[in-house]
Parts: sequence; structure tokens; C-alpha cells
Amino acid sequence: MQYKTFKGGIHPLAREKGGKTASKDVSTKEFISDTVIIPMSMHIGAPSKPCVNKGDYVKVGQVIGEPQGGLGLPVHASVSGTVISIDQKSLLSPGQVTCITIQNDFKDEWVETKPLGSTIEEIDPKEIIPAIKNAGIAGMGGASFPTHIKLSVREGQHCDTIIANGCECETFLTADNRLMIEEPEKVVNGLLIVLKAMNVTRGVIAIESNKPEAIKKIKNAAKSTNIEVVVLKTKYPQGGEKQLIQVITGKEVPTGKLPIDANTIVLNVGTCKAIRDAIFEGRPLIDRITTVTGIVNNPGNLKVRIGTILADMVGECGGYSGEVGKIVSGGGMTGLSCPNEDIPVLKATSGFVIYPTAKSISLAEEPCIRCGRCVEACPLRLDPYLLKNLCDAGKIEEAKLNNIMDCCFCGTCSYVCPSKRWITVSIKNTREIMKKEVKK
Amino acid sequence: MNLRMSTAPHIKSSDTTSSLMRNVIIALIPCTMASIYFFGLNAIILILVSIASAVLSEFIFEKLSHKKVTINDGSAFLTGLLLALNIPSSAPWWIALIGSAFAIIIVKQLFGGLGGNFINPALGARGMLVVSWASIMTTFTTPTGFAAADAVTSATPLATNSADYTTLLFGNIPGTMGETSKIMILLGLAFLLITRTIKWRIPVVTLASTAFFSFIFGSDPLYAVLAGGIMFGAVFMATDYVTSPMTAAGQYIYSVGIGLLVVIIRVFGNYPEGVTFAIILMNVVTGLIDKYCRERVYGHSKGEKHE
Repeated sequence: MQYKTFKGGIHPLAREKGGKTASKDVSTKEFISDTVIIPMSMHIGAPSKPCVNKGDYVKVGQVIGEPQGGLGLPVHASVSGTVISIDQKSLLSPGQVTCITIQNDFKDEWVETKPLGSTIEEIDPKEIIPAIKNAGIAGMGGASFPTHIKLSVREGQHCDTIIANGCECETFLTADNRLMIEEPEKVVNGLLIVLKAMNVTRGVIAIESNKPEAIKKIKNAAKSTNIEVVVLKTKYPQGGEKQLIQVITGKEVPTGKLPIDANTIVLNVGTCKAIRDAIFEGRPLIDRITTVTGIVNNPGNLKVRIGTILADMVGECGGYSGEVGKIVSGGGMTGLSCPNEDIPVLKATSGFVIYPTAKSISLAEEPCIRCGRCVEACPLRLDPYLLKNLCDAGKIEEAKLNNIMDCCFCGTCSYVCPSKRWITVSIKNTREIMKKEVKK
Repeated sequence: MNLRMSTAPHIKSSDTTSSLMRNVIIALIPCTMASIYFFGLNAIILILVSIASAVLSEFIFEKLSHKKVTINDGSAFLTGLLLALNIPSSAPWWIALIGSAFAIIIVKQLFGGLGGNFINPALGARGMLVVSWASIMTTFTTPTGFAAADAVTSATPLATNSADYTTLLFGNIPGTMGETSKIMILLGLAFLLITRTIKWRIPVVTLASTAFFSFIFGSDPLYAVLAGGIMFGAVFMATDYVTSPMTAAGQYIYSVGIGLLVVIIRVFGNYPEGVTFAIILMNVVTGLIDKYCRERVYGHSKGEKHE
């Protein structure tokens, strides 16, 4: 059967089925660790301000970081116990971030929770978006954009379609797959809540064709609703926001604009589930499913509290099964390298992939042979080889004319390049330089 | 724990420049075998001299200019082999030597090495040889294999219009060493397509366009495709990544252009065959084609200018 898709794209690790085989059929295991390290910055926007002190006793769901500025979000304690330190740590992105470390007392003592209701009908739509903010929900698919901002449609904007993104096109990751298999009603209810809050009728759950079990479960859960379940071709980056909107709505997000300018909002399925928990149970976002795979003895998915440390999770998965070369937070195409094993799970951490030494690829570049593979594969129809040359030559103005601002860093061009050129990196570095120049 | 830090993507496709070059070389094995079968010892000598000259030229040039030596990527080897298969078996060994050295040093390295050349090195060299030593390059002999019989000088079936389709397919005809056996070329094409080394567009459209324009100009389209060097050119020369367009639209224009030029040269030109110059001419405009055949970028309106 021919499923819908976009033009271009790739099938990364096609022979290994995207590296998902090891973890996709293993049931999610709940794992709660001794300590959690909770950063104050797990969303795009100003870091939250700690509002507890060292030595304080905190309950699960208690606000420990207060939101700052327009894009701010509260941060909640994910376990009950004692705050043992508040200090600066360097995590995945450059610079340092304030982190609160909590020693778990395993009593799982909760703050009082205030659900908005237990059925869609009885909820007041006006209360939904503030409740989503109070629950500290940010996009769980990777971009960690505060969800309440995404759902705040401004004057002149109009939303007619909301898409729950269950594509999970990234390699190695299976967290969304497990979530859809194990808690499909929660995903569906989350989307229904958002539809109600936004007064939108068209809700779509999009899933790639390589997740038959998830498709079945979600279809079943959505049976009595008016939500459409759309099966898409398995291809990277099918779950990219722009590609997804194009395929589902036939519209393109205009250059430099947001999905809402194509009358669409896209939410990760994990985010939908978190929204449902916030509204029906009053639970803030304090846990998530995260894939641990690669060279560990028992690859799989763990349901962990936010702040759980990588090393503890690897231990829970039976330890390393080989010599570790590189650890990546996220999938193979877009993930970030971890400097050490003390990296905590953030709201948007969908997985950790442990690579053996042998598979840590070489950094050497060869000359472009103009094979055109990057041009053919670029999901945005850019000319990656040209942008790479312009970026390396420092020709920023020319790069702008060649639409460098449209690049979404999906890594497709770098993946297909037979000369192993670091196209995405060059473009990213130039975009950083451009950002700094704008700030000046 | 000493962890390696690097930016995404952390995985890459298994294709490398050298694996792609290797694929093309493997795809040329049937043609090479056929050329040895048909033209005997002289074919072996020309092929060896040509490859050795190409690889050595690359090595020496890169050493002298203090560049990284890249003979291991297979591209110089490929250029040497391609050139050998593009000269007649009766040519003296020094034709291969000079041709390959010219291909590597003048056409490839002086324009920046791999990826920098604007015409296919082997074709550039063949063009130079045809112009400089016209009689050597256009004297073809009947295939005699390793038999002791004296080879008879003969015109190619393209000029004489005398061979039947089966003979053309099997390649027991005068011609440059690699171009005669169409079956072997098609075997190579199949390998290139199966391994996804090249896409179908350039070879198929080039041949279709040659057939079409031959028909327009009143000759037998099937004969036009089976005779001469067009099939070898369409499969192995026109598909050179460096000198062919990247977008689908660009590849169509390029391929149609080659077919048209081949037929024009065949019909109106002084040379009986025009594949070399047709491809070289389209190589030259590849940059231009790429510039005007870019696709509309996602989220941009139609007709929006790039530059």
C-alpha cells in the first residue's frame, strides 16, 4: 500500500530497521532512581528561578522553580525527598544551568492535585491552557517549546487542524511507539482536550507505517471520536513539523513563519498524554518514557521521573554490553553528544543511544563530488552542498539568498553525503554566527 | 569514561566516494572483458598503460603540489579505465599514456581536483586526442581477439550503416574498445542501477532522446542507439556526478541536450560520431542548468528568485 508522504527524505539505517528493533517490542518498565537532578531550563525561554532551598523537604509535583518571562514555565519536583544541592552544572548545551538535586525518600508523597474534571464534557475550555502552563508542559518531541504558548492563538491567526505527532521517524527511538501501544486512550484524550480548548474540529494522529501495533491501538482508542488516524510512509524526517503539516493539510508553513500561519498546530503524542494527565489528574509533567538502547544489555524503554540520571538508567538496563564510544541524547540523526554519564532526563529527552567505539564515525571530510544526493534528499528542497560551500567560505549574505534560514537541521544531507561532508554542522555554525550578529 | 563528542548526525550512509567509484569500476568489468575478448593483447596493453598513467599522474601532481594524495579513492583509476575504453584498439600505447596524463593533470587537477573539474576528465582527454591525432583516433579495426590474423582497418558500423542488430548488440564490430558490446554495457548499467550508484534518468533519457532525434532526422532510431558510442557515453560518461546536473529537471534537460547534439553532429558534422563533443558541451552548461533548475524551496512562493 502506498502511504502519504513528502518529496525527498531518506531511510536511515534501513537494513537495521532504523535501529528500533531492539527496543520497540519491549514493554515499558517503570524505574525510579535514588536521586534526580532537575535543571531549571528544560524549555525554550528564560530559565526558571529556584524557590526551594538546600535541605528543604519537597513533595512530588511541588513547584521548585518559578517561571520567568514570557516563555517561562514552572519546574516541579519529580520525587518526594530532600533537596541536597542547588548548583550550576553544564549539561548538553553550551553554558551552565542551575540544577536542583533531590534525594528520593521513596515515599512518593504528592502535593494536593486539582484535576479540572474527569471527562471532556465537564471541563471549562478557558481553564485548559492556564492549567497546561501550570503543569510545566513543554514540547516532549525534542524542541521543548512551551505548549501553552503554542496553543495561544493571537489576533488574526486561525487554527483549523491539530496534529498529534506519533511518527517517531528518528532512528533508535521507540518511546512514542510504546506510549501509543500502552496508553493510547491517554494520547487520544489529550488531543481531545486540546481540540476543546482551541475550539477546533479537525484532530489528526499521524503515525508512520512501521508501527502497526501502535496504529491498531490508537485507531481502537479513537474509534468513538472524530479524530482521524493517518498512517504515513516510513521515511525520515516524516515527523518533522513542516513535512507533517504539508502531508496532512496540503499546506506549507510560509518561510520564516510558524505552523499556526498554516492554520495548524503540531503536538508530540507524549505532550498530548502529559496534557491529559494535567487536566484529568492535576498532575504536572514529572515523568516520561525514554528509550535506552545501543550497546546496553537490555535495551528498552523506561518510564522515569524527570531528572533521572543516564548512568542510573543504563544500570537499570543491565549495564553496557561493550566498549562505549559515544552517548547521544536523542536519536542518531539529531541527538546531542553527552559529555559524561551524569546527564539527566529532561522533559524532551526521548532517548539515550549508546554507540560502541567502532561506530563512532570519523570526522574526515572529502571534496564534494556533486553527486546531488543532498539536493534530492533535502525535505525542504534546499541546495545543501551549495550552502555548505558558502558557509565554509564565510559568505553569509550569499547563504541568506540561498535560503539558509529555511534549514531545519534534520541532518538528512549529511547522512546521504558519500564524501562524508559535515553539511548540517556548517549550516548550524553559520546560523549561530548570524544569531549573534542580530543580537549585536 | 572518555566519551567522544560530535554533532549530529551520528549515523551516516554506508556509501562513500570510493565505494561509488568502485561500483562504477565493477560495472565496467563486462565491457573491459569484452574489449579484451574482441581486441586481444593490444587492449590489455592500452588498458594497463592508461590506468597506470592516470594513477601515477595523480600521485605525482599531488606530491609536487603538496596536496593530500587521493589515489586510493579510485577516481584516477576509473578515469584511466574509462579513457582506455574510449580509444580504438589500434592506437599506440603512448596515446593512452598522454591521454590519461592530460585527463588527470589538465582537466582534473588544474581545476581543483576531484569535484572541481567542469568536464569529464576522460572525455576531455578523448576530445583532445581526437583533435590532435585524428587519424589514430578514428581508425578502427575489425575485432580479431588473440588470433594471429591481421586486423583489417574498417569504418565503424555507424559510418557504414552495415551491421545487423544482433552483431551490434554483441559487439563483434569495429569501434573504440569499450563501446562495441551493447550487452556488456547494459549489464554494467543494471549493476549501477541496482546498487543505486546512478539514477535511471540520464542514461535512459539520453538514449531516448538520441533515438527520437534520429527518427526526426530520418534515420533508424534503434540503429542510432546501438551503433557508435552513444550507449557507452550515456551509461558511463554522461552520468559522471561532477559534470552532470543535480536536480531531476536539470538531468532531463541535460540528457535531451546530449541526444540532440549527438544527432546534429552525426548528421551535419565532419566526424561520424559526436558523443564525446555532445557530452562535453552539455558538461559545460551543467552549472547553468543547475542554476536555473532549482526547485521551489518549501514555504516559498512560486517564481521567487534565488539570487
